[in-house]
Amino acid sequence: MAADSKQLSFPPGTELVFGPQAVRRQWISDCISQVFRGWGFSEIVLPTFDSAETFEDLPDQTDEAELYTLIDREGRRLTLRADFTLIAAKALAMELRRQPRQIRACYEGRVYRFAPSGHGHRVEQAQRGLEWVNARGAVYDAAVLMLARECLASVAAHDALLVVGHAGFVHAVLGEGRRERRLLEALDYKNPSRIRQVAQRIGLDAGTVALLEALPLLTGGPEVFKTVREFRLPGAAADALAELEGLYGLLADAGATDGILLDLGEVRRADYYSGFMFKVYDPAVGEELGGGGRYDRLFDRYNMDVPAVGFGVNLARVAEATSENGYANGQAESVADDAGAEGLKRIAASRAAGKSIRLEGK
Amino acid sequence: MLRLALPTGRMLKQATPFLEAAGYAPVESLSDTRKLTVPSKCGRVEYLLVKPVDAPLYIEQGVAEAGLCGKDVLMEVDADLLEPLDLGFSKCRMVVAGKPELERKLDNLLSPVRVASKFPRVAQNHFRKKGLPCTVFKLSGSVEIGAVLGLSHYIVDIVETGTTLRENGLVVHEEIAECSARLAVNRAAWYTKLVEIRELVDNLRQAVEGAKP
Repeated sequence: MAADSKQLSFPPGTELVFGPQAVRRQWISDCISQVFRGWGFSEIVLPTFDSAETFEDLPDQTDEAELYTLIDREGRRLTLRADFTLIAAKALAMELRRQPRQIRACYEGRVYRFAPSGHGHRVEQAQRGLEWVNARGAVYDAAVLMLARECLASVAAHDALLVVGHAGFVHAVLGEGRRERRLLEALDYKNPSRIRQVAQRIGLDAGTVALLEALPLLTGGPEVFKTVREFRLPGAAADALAELEGLYGLLADAGATDGILLDLGEVRRADYYSGFMFKVYDPAVGEELGGGGRYDRLFDRYNMDVPAVGFGVNLARVAEATSENGYANGQAESVADDAGAEGLKRIAASRAAGKSIRLEGK
Repeated sequence: MLRLALPTGRMLKQATPFLEAAGYAPVESLSDTRKLTVPSKCGRVEYLLVKPVDAPLYIEQGVAEAGLCGKDVLMEVDADLLEPLDLGFSKCRMVVAGKPELERKLDNLLSPVRVASKFPRVAQNHFRKKGLPCTVFKLSGSVEIGAVLGLSHYIVDIVETGTTLRENGLVVHEEIAECSARLAVNRAAWYTKLVEIRELVDNLRQAVEGAKP
C-alpha cells in the first residue's frame, strides 16, 4: 500500500537534517567539541527527560505551556529536556556531593520547547554547550567569552558579536520594578517612551525613571560605562557595573575585546543569571545563535553554594551563520555490490589502508 | 543599507509622510507602485511592501532589519521583536465587546466563553490569563455579527471610534490594549547594524515629534 502524504511527514517544528547539511552540522559540532576539549572540558550525557520541577525556573520567560510534559505508566509527571543548564546542574550537583571540585563539562543534544507553527521556529533545537562549576571570579567570565569567540571562529563565523550585559545591574536598577510585568516588557521591547509611562505609573522616582528610560540606548563599546555614570545609580548597580567594567578591562588587557558589544539594558533572562550574561548574534542570522553567563545561585535549590558559568549555541543557527562547507568530500573507491567475495576483499584491503570506499549498485 | 518592511494598505498612506520627514523618501510613490521592493532616495533604506500580517515575520526572520507594524498585528503574530518607537498614528483599541446584558457576566458563564475574532491568539491569551476556558472562532469578515447573531458571547476586535459597535447594539466590556503603529526591529539587527538602526530610530522619533500639534 502506498504511503500517503500524512504518513510521510513529521509534525511542524521537528528537525530533519540529512545529506550535505547533516555532514556540515556534524562538522560544526566537531569543531566546537574540539575547542571544548582544548580547554579541558569532558563530555557528559544527560537525560532526555526529567521530573517536571527541574524545569520550573526556565529562562526566556518560558511558561509551562511551552514544555512537553507527559505522565508515565507509574503516574510520574515527566518533562522533555527544555534546557540543558538546569538538568546539567542537577547531574553535577550529584557529582559534587560525591566529590566537591571544579568540573568542566560539555554536552550536545536537543532541547524541546513548544513553538507555534507558522513562525519557522523549531520545537527541537540541537545545542552544544558547556558548564564550568566551582568557577569563581572574573577570570572565568572572561575565559567563557574567549571560549565562545574561539568556538565561533572555529566554524568561520567571524562576524558574530558577543553582546554582554550584567544581571545584577539590571536587578539593582529595577528595584521593586522587577515585579512589574509591563515594565519588564517595555524594557525587553527597548521602548523608552513606554518605559517612562509605566515607570511613572507605578510610582518610581524621577531619577530611576530617567535611568530606566536610557537603558535601551546603553548599547555599544566601553563608552557606555561613562554614559551610565551620568545617572544616579543605586549602590548595588554601581557594584555590578564596576564588576562588568572589570571584566571588560580584563578582556581588553588580554587583547580579547574584538566582537564584544555591551548592552546594559538587557533584561531577558536576568532572573536566570546572577552576574555577567551574554548573547551571540551574527549579521547573517535574524535570531540569537546562543548565549550564556554566570549563574551562581543555580545550585541553591540543591542546598549547595557553587559558583558556575556556562554557555551554549544553537547548532542550526550557527550553521546559517557560516559559509564554510565543512568536511571536504574526498575521493572514494567504488565497489560494485555484485562483485562478491572479490569485492569484499578489495574493501577490506582499502579500509586497512585507511581509504574511503563505496559499496554500491550499478 | 537597511531593509524596512512596510504593510500595504491604510497604514502605508499614513506612514509615508513620516518616512519622508525622517529623510527616507521613496524614489516613487509606495501607494501606487506594483513593485514589491522600492529604494529610498537617500539610498540608506530599501522598502519591502508586504501584507500587514506578514511584516512581523519578515522582520523576525531578519529578511528585513526593521519595519512598521500595527500593535494589533504584533500582538496577534506574537513575533519576537523589539519595539523601540511608538509612531503614534493608526491609533485604535483592542477590546472585548458584546451585548450590553453580558456586562459583569464574564465570570459567571456556565459554559466556556465563546469568542469570535480576527485575532484568535490575542483572544485566547486574554481569556487564558483570566483563567476562563474559551472557544475562539476565527472570523475574517465582520466580527460584530458573531456576537449579534449568537455565534459567540463576545468578540475581540480593534475599535477606533466605536461607531460600528454602537450601530450593531454592542458595547465595550473590557480594553485589552491600546494599539498604534510601531517601529519594530529585528533583535539581531539591533546589535549587528547598531549605527544604522540607531540613526533610523532617531530620525523617525524626530519626525514623530515634529508631527505633534
